[in-house]
Order: sequence, then structure tokens, then C-alpha cells
Amino acid sequence: MAATESPIASLPPGWSKRLPRDERLFMWLIVVSALVMSVFSIGWLVWGNQNVPTASYRTTPERWGATVSAFSDKYKGADGKAHVPPGTDAYMMGARYVFYPDLVLKAGHKYTIWISSVDVLHGFSIVGNHENINLEIAPMHAIGATITTPSTPGTYLIVCNEYCGLGHHGMLGHIIVER
Amino acid sequence: MAVAEPVPTPLADYRATEASRWCTVTGLRVYSGAQTLTIANAVAAVLALAIGGAFGVAIGLTRAPGMELLGSSAFYASLTGHGVAALILWPIFFEVAAMVFASTILLNARMFSNTLGWLAFALMVVGALMTLVIIVSGDASVAFTAYPPLKASQIFYIGYLVFAVGALLAIVNFTLSIAKARAEGVLEGSLPLITYGVACAAILAFLSIGSGLVALLPAWFYSAGWLGGVDPIVYRAWFWGLGHTLQYVNVVAMVVCWYGILALALGTGPVNQKFTRVAFILYLVFTVPVLGHHFLVDPSLSTGVKIVGGTMLGFALGVPSLMHGLAVMGGAEAHLRKQGATGLFGWLKRVKWGNPGIAALAVSMLIFAIGGWNGTAETTLPLNMVSHNTMWVPAHLHQVVTGGTTVAFMGFAYYLIPLLVRRRLWGFKWATFQIYLYGVGMFVMTMAQSWAGTLGVPRRTWEIGYSGQAPSGWDLPMNIAGFGAGLSGVAGALFVVIMVATLLIGKRTDDPAELAPSGLA
Repeated sequence: MAATESPIASLPPGWSKRLPRDERLFMWLIVVSALVMSVFSIGWLVWGNQNVPTASYRTTPERWGATVSAFSDKYKGADGKAHVPPGTDAYMMGARYVFYPDLVLKAGHKYTIWISSVDVLHGFSIVGNHENINLEIAPMHAIGATITTPSTPGTYLIVCNEYCGLGHHGMLGHIIVER
Repeated sequence: MAVAEPVPTPLADYRATEASRWCTVTGLRVYSGAQTLTIANAVAAVLALAIGGAFGVAIGLTRAPGMELLGSSAFYASLTGHGVAALILWPIFFEVAAMVFASTILLNARMFSNTLGWLAFALMVVGALMTLVIIVSGDASVAFTAYPPLKASQIFYIGYLVFAVGALLAIVNFTLSIAKARAEGVLEGSLPLITYGVACAAILAFLSIGSGLVALLPAWFYSAGWLGGVDPIVYRAWFWGLGHTLQYVNVVAMVVCWYGILALALGTGPVNQKFTRVAFILYLVFTVPVLGHHFLVDPSLSTGVKIVGGTMLGFALGVPSLMHGLAVMGGAEAHLRKQGATGLFGWLKRVKWGNPGIAALAVSMLIFAIGGWNGTAETTLPLNMVSHNTMWVPAHLHQVVTGGTTVAFMGFAYYLIPLLVRRRLWGFKWATFQIYLYGVGMFVMTMAQSWAGTLGVPRRTWEIGYSGQAPSGWDLPMNIAGFGAGLSGVAGALFVVIMVATLLIGKRTDDPAELAPSGLA
């Protein structure tokens, strides 16, 4: 039975022929622009101003707890924060509902911060004005982000931005950048 | 534009099997089983939207620091309920309505099995109720993503799974209905465009729900204590196989509604059906691998995989959406030019902007385009690191899913429901007003959310004061976003009122001009 004449169910004759020129031109235009955007997107990793390379490896909550404790004990200052000398990797953990330990870093240096969770998923978010750094933090996986600390000293807030339980909104930590 | 009904002789026996009528608007034969089931699914969808929308407004007003409507426990329960009702239940119920409609009424055919159709519907309703009740009780505040090792009550997972099985059965019934229509000679040749689009949506829904089962079964076993642990990174991969793919089911269904509105309000279709069908197929090709953009800052995939899967294929996925944008607008323009429109934009003056279908088409396409851009920007690795899990993400997803899909569904429902229940749309002018108000609310809300996102405001968080340590600039955009959510809430409630009123007290009629008001000025 032929389809009805109603536009909602009709099938114009000859619909399967080759596309007309303007449609083909439009398709090529968007395909080319997608390719151009891909090039820019990758180029950004080379020439962009804010690139934070990441790496990851497997761990366990127990091992990660031990790693962070050892790190924290080694660099702990009188203020209870970990004072990390340049050239040293920092280790943090997300646990309901805190990031531990707070880090004290030197301004204008490169650091790799390794972080994992000892319980549920967390979101590691260093709050910056348009320059936030956000990482997904999962138990059993450690992620390391290599950042360059700002040249201006100050206290930078870390908040959790992956829902982690009823106390989620209170979960925070700090990175203190000093001269 | 009523048309004479074609009366092919071999169908006399076929028609005798089930009560049916002839639609005065489309000239299609409507069998009673398909009609009732489509209406049932659409009603369930509207109720789910009402629940999801109520949760959504409560969330928006809580997140406005000037208001803080809910306490923290109620907020996280609402957050879970909003995700489940507005992102899973409302679209899937509406898509099942579209599936029943497209595989039967549009083909002049019966359903493969009315029993199977109602079984699917019953399972979906039972699963939806189980999930919603346990969320409201506060025993399942795990957000709709339910990432382990967070644990919800077992009923939450079982409800999800029962709903998923129901939806899978609905897809099976859809497929078999098309096969049956073909086997019995009712359907010959290619599928009509809308059925074709819905079939693409159904294929994606099948993949999506399958992936959801792989994610949620172990999560259920874990919550029940039968499984020692679930790797959250593995869970995330399967879960977004559900969550991401489902959004493209929504996108495809939204595009189908665009063509549906085009056909019913303007009486036309795309200039070239091959172009639109190629675009539908491209969704099938690119959707599944692109779920990688959820993991761009995860401790899982390598940078190369993230760039190819998350970024580049993400750009490729913009191609079909742009093609549909051209096809819908081009179809309308070509049709209106044939009727005498002149000049570059003269055709826009020949459209009745006070028609709810036209309003929905315009609002949906515009906000979806903004959301598409917003999301594409986010797939670039350094930009994703700036925006991941900030308010930028809810801004993007409300632009595409709420501003795009939900508005398109509303506009299509304003045509589909009157046709099915043979009642005139109640409150025609209110319907138009509702669409524009909803669009303005969503626009204000999502723009403010994007602004908050660039400032680093976290999503899914009850309160953002952080004992006085939060930057002072965070409050203003979140208050504006709350205002936008309130506007959309009012408009959403109006939609539910109009739908219910149409179903119950709309004027009974068979006059095509009243059932499907023309969008031509």
C-alpha cells in the first residue's frame, strides 16, 4: 500500500537519488570545520597557556593511605601542613569529607600532585577565576597532574565537585602558595 | 488538509481484526490498541516531567544562595529524583509513545502485540514508582549516576532494572510491529522519515539500556553485599554507555519531533529526505564511541584515546545535528517560498509565531544550538579541565536536553495529543506563552550557570559557602540561575495543566483545522 499523501508519512518519489549540490557543499563545510576544530583542539595542547599534563596508575585505598601518611609525616611543618620543596612530588587523598593534607608550595615552580580516593569518587577542583583545575578522583586509581604554581602567593581553595555523600558540600582542602 | 483515505482491497480482512478509525488530519488509519497505548505512555511521560520538574525547581531555588529552599538531605534526595525523573523517565516514556505511534499509526498498521506493549508499559511504571518512592524516602541519595562505592537501597537498583527491562520490551514490540506491518503487506518500500528516525532512536536506546544493565547489575549486587567491590572507573564507562547514549536517543527523538511539527504545523517536510536520513545514520555511527568525553580528566584512558574518542569524534557528532538544522529550516523556507515568500527573510514573516508548535520549533533549535556549542567547547582537553563538574556541565545539559529535547517534545505533544484523543488543544494561547516562557527561563538559567561554571562553582552541591572561604563572586550567578529555574518551573507547570486539561475537558472535534492548527500566518 502506498504511503499516504500526508506530509507526516509521505515519501517523495526519487528521494534516494544523489544529493543536490548545495546539500553536498553544506556537508563538506561542516566536515571541514570539524577537522579544523580538531587541529586547533590538539594544537592547544602544544601552544596553549594552561596545559596540565596528567598521568595515572592503579593503587588500592590501603596502599594510598600509607603513601599519603608517609609523605605527610616527612614534610609536615608546625602548622600541620605539608611543606613541599620544589622538585618533590606531592601526594594527597580525598576522603569523606576532606582533602588531606593541605599543601604548601613555592610560587612559580612545577609540581606533580598525585591524588586518589580512599573511599568513594570525589572531584578535585582547584578554584581559580576562569582557570580552575578539575580532576576526577577514584578509589583504586591515582591521578597525577603536573601544575605550575602561580607567581602570586596566596591560599587556593580545593573543593569536591563530584557528589560523594550527604556531607559533600563541606569537603574542602587548601593549597598555599608562598614565596 | 484532510485527504481522502486510500482503500486498498487486500486490507479488508486486516482491518476487521481490531477496532480502528480514520484520522481526519493525516488520513492515517488508527487502531485502538496503538492509540490507547500511545496515550498511556504520553500521560506517564507528562507525569514524570511534572515530578522531575518539581524536583528541578526545588534544586534551582536551593542552589540560589539567596533562597536555600531545602535542607541538605532533602536537596540530595531531590537531586537524585530530578536526574531519574527528568533525564530517564520523562524522555523514555515519551520515546516509547513515539515508538508505538511511529510503528503503527504512521504505517496504517496494528501493533505486533497489544499484550506485549502493555506488559512493557506496566514494567516501566512499576520500575519508575519503585525508584521514585525509595528516592523520596531518602534511602537512595546517590545522584542518578549512583557511582559505587556509594550505596543506595536495593530497591533503587531493582526499580531501575525493572524499568530498563520494560523499555527493552517496548523496543522489541516496536521492531516486531514494523516487521509485522511489512509481512502483512501494509508497509511496502522504505519507512516514512519519522519512523526511520524513531528506529534510529530505538537502536541507540537498545545499546544504551544494554550498557545500563551491565553497569547497574553489579552495582545492585554490591549494594546487596553479594559482590565485594565494583571498580568505579569501570562502572563509569558502562554507566555513560547508558547515560551518554541515552542523550542521543533524546537528540534523535528531538529531531524527529522537529520533523513532526514541520509536517503537522506547516504541512511540509525536508527538501531532501536522503540528506536527513544520512544525518540520522551518522548519529548511529558516532554516538557510542563519543561517550569518552565523560572521562577526559579521569585516571583511566590515555591522552591519545581521550583526544580521538572524546574530542575529535565529539566534533564529528556535531555534523548530523547541523545537517538536521539545515534540513528543518530549509524545508520550511522552501515550502514558504513556494507559497510566495520573497526576499532573504520574507519566509520568516509567513510563519505564525503565536503557534505553540512553531514556538517550540524555534526555541528548541535555538537553545539546542547554544548547548551544542557549549558542549563541543568542553570536549577540548584543557577546556574540559577548566569546566569538568563545574556548573558549566549542568548549563550544557540543560541547554541540549531541557531547552532542546524537552521543548521539542512539548511542542510535538501539543499536536500529537489532540490528534490521538480527538480533542482540541485546551488553552492554545497559553500553550504558546508557556513555550516562550520556558525558553526564556532556560536561557537565563543556563547562561548564569555557564558564568558560574567558569568561576569554578561546583555542580551537585547543596551549599557553596565553604564556611566563608568561597570566592565572593559565586553568589550572583547562582541567584540568577535560581530565578531562571523558577521561571521555567512556572512554564513547566503550565504545560502539565494544559495537557491534563486537553485530555479531560478539551472540546471534542474531528475538524482538522481545530485538531492541528496551521502554523502559516
